[in-house]
Amino acid sequence: MMQRNKLLVAMAFLAPAVIAVIMLRLWPAVSAVHESLIAPGATSYSLENYEYIFTDPVFLQSLRVTLIFIVVVAPLQIAIAVALALLVNAAIPFIGLWRAIILLPVAIPQSVSAVVWGVAFRPDGPVNALLVAAGLDPQRFLTSPDQAMGSIIVIVSWIGVGYWMTFILAGLQDIPKSLYEAVRIDGANRFQQFWYVTLPQLRRPLTFVLVANTVANFLVFAPVQILTSGGPQGSTNLIMNEIYTRAFVSGDRSSALAATVVLVAAVLAVVLVQFRMMRSAEDK
Amino acid sequence: MTNKAGFIRTSITVLCAILFILPLWWVTVSALRPENDIFRYLSPLSWGTLLPLNFTLEHVVELWSGPFRQAIMNSIIVTSVTIVFGLAICSMAAFALAVIEFRGRTLVFIVMVVSFLIPFDAIAVPLYQTLRNMNLQNTYVGLVLPGIGNGLAVFLLRQFFLGIPKELREAAMIDGMGWFGVFWRIYLPLSVPALISASLILFVFQWQAYLWPLLIAPAPEYKGAAVAIAQFSSQYDVNYSLIFAAALFISLIPMVILTVFQQGFSASVASTGSKE
Repeated sequence: MMQRNKLLVAMAFLAPAVIAVIMLRLWPAVSAVHESLIAPGATSYSLENYEYIFTDPVFLQSLRVTLIFIVVVAPLQIAIAVALALLVNAAIPFIGLWRAIILLPVAIPQSVSAVVWGVAFRPDGPVNALLVAAGLDPQRFLTSPDQAMGSIIVIVSWIGVGYWMTFILAGLQDIPKSLYEAVRIDGANRFQQFWYVTLPQLRRPLTFVLVANTVANFLVFAPVQILTSGGPQGSTNLIMNEIYTRAFVSGDRSSALAATVVLVAAVLAVVLVQFRMMRSAEDK
Repeated sequence: MTNKAGFIRTSITVLCAILFILPLWWVTVSALRPENDIFRYLSPLSWGTLLPLNFTLEHVVELWSGPFRQAIMNSIIVTSVTIVFGLAICSMAAFALAVIEFRGRTLVFIVMVVSFLIPFDAIAVPLYQTLRNMNLQNTYVGLVLPGIGNGLAVFLLRQFFLGIPKELREAAMIDGMGWFGVFWRIYLPLSVPALISASLILFVFQWQAYLWPLLIAPAPEYKGAAVAIAQFSSQYDVNYSLIFAAALFISLIPMVILTVFQQGFSASVASTGSKE
């Protein structure tokens, strides 16, 4: 009787959240899989939508651009985040203020950051003014097929590295001081301390940041849609922008849903593989 | 650390901080100067580049008579409602998952965590179709709904609830208090720091939202600030002063809130990373 009562109470407390999860996460995911398997005008299941997108050069280019973007951005942002965390993990004057400033860009809506950087990267904007003042040639940035992706990377990194730094910093502060003392007695220099103590001890926060950062980078949308619409020449057409364009600009729902399923599958795979890695590293 | 090393480290830190704040400084200065001045002091660089020599509040005032007024109000409404309902739903779920022992609790917890591994933006397109079929296009309900169930908030509150001693609940229940009383009068009052962190998570999610409002609420009267600024910035006769004033205002609210609560926010967010 008591057990049953508890179950009912628990269900009452959980009901709104469970309904939210089912309606807002699981149902859309399931319906995306379902609808992506039905070709336009067809009534039975087939893989036609997938065949279509995987032979479509625009989609294939978008996949390629997304993968290159992630392979470049994840190590870049994590390296900067670790460097910043090491830098601000010290008792220097006003340290709280410097940390807060580096974290600030995360608080700003991405669309606002995108708009502001868009103006900054204008041909007559302040970034070029700085380059000219330093004796360099002005650049085209977002309008050049060679530089647009680099400019997007600058923007998303300015937004994100402070956030990732926060996790690394928390990890650094958890490392027992005695570990450093032990290797110092053995004569380890600065770099050896970092390599043999700091890095191994940061395994957990680093794994988390790697997973979360990769997932976040799969989903970069606002800067691309606002600043380049995927151009010039598809050079910044990240997968979220590709899905959005298919669904709401071209009105091709079927292939947009197939692309959505590909994205969700890729993201889940990354998450699972990386959690696996963490697990097996723990067992050792 | 020697004095010299400390000085070098401090200098590098300050330099990094300046790099991060420079774009924000530029936004602020541009919002507070006449429109003609925005691109005027760039070549060559001079004091005027970084200081509003012809200071004016004109554009900040203009913000409240122009099209941004409605957009900012919409963002405030949607975010506030999200926080209220989100806190209620997430804290109730967290309470059940942390305090009430029932069969299948672990399973429910895992299902929740796993389903929140599906990033919201990734399923925005199919979710849009679901909600459009329910006639929630261009409604506040449609804008609020995706924000109310937040896995990170549930996770954080559950962790906090787990740390509250069982004895408190047992004593209260012997005195005749029911489950809801335990939740409302014992757990919630003891969990203010965790509730603040959860509110911040809900706040950031909704204040930043861009893709979802773009899809579900294209009508001007429901447009939020994050979408409005992007659309106004791509107009042919864009008014840069207004864009910067809006950017300043939209950024200032979260910056102030996060700076005030920064300590708690960093600590709670970081703990989700180290404790899985």
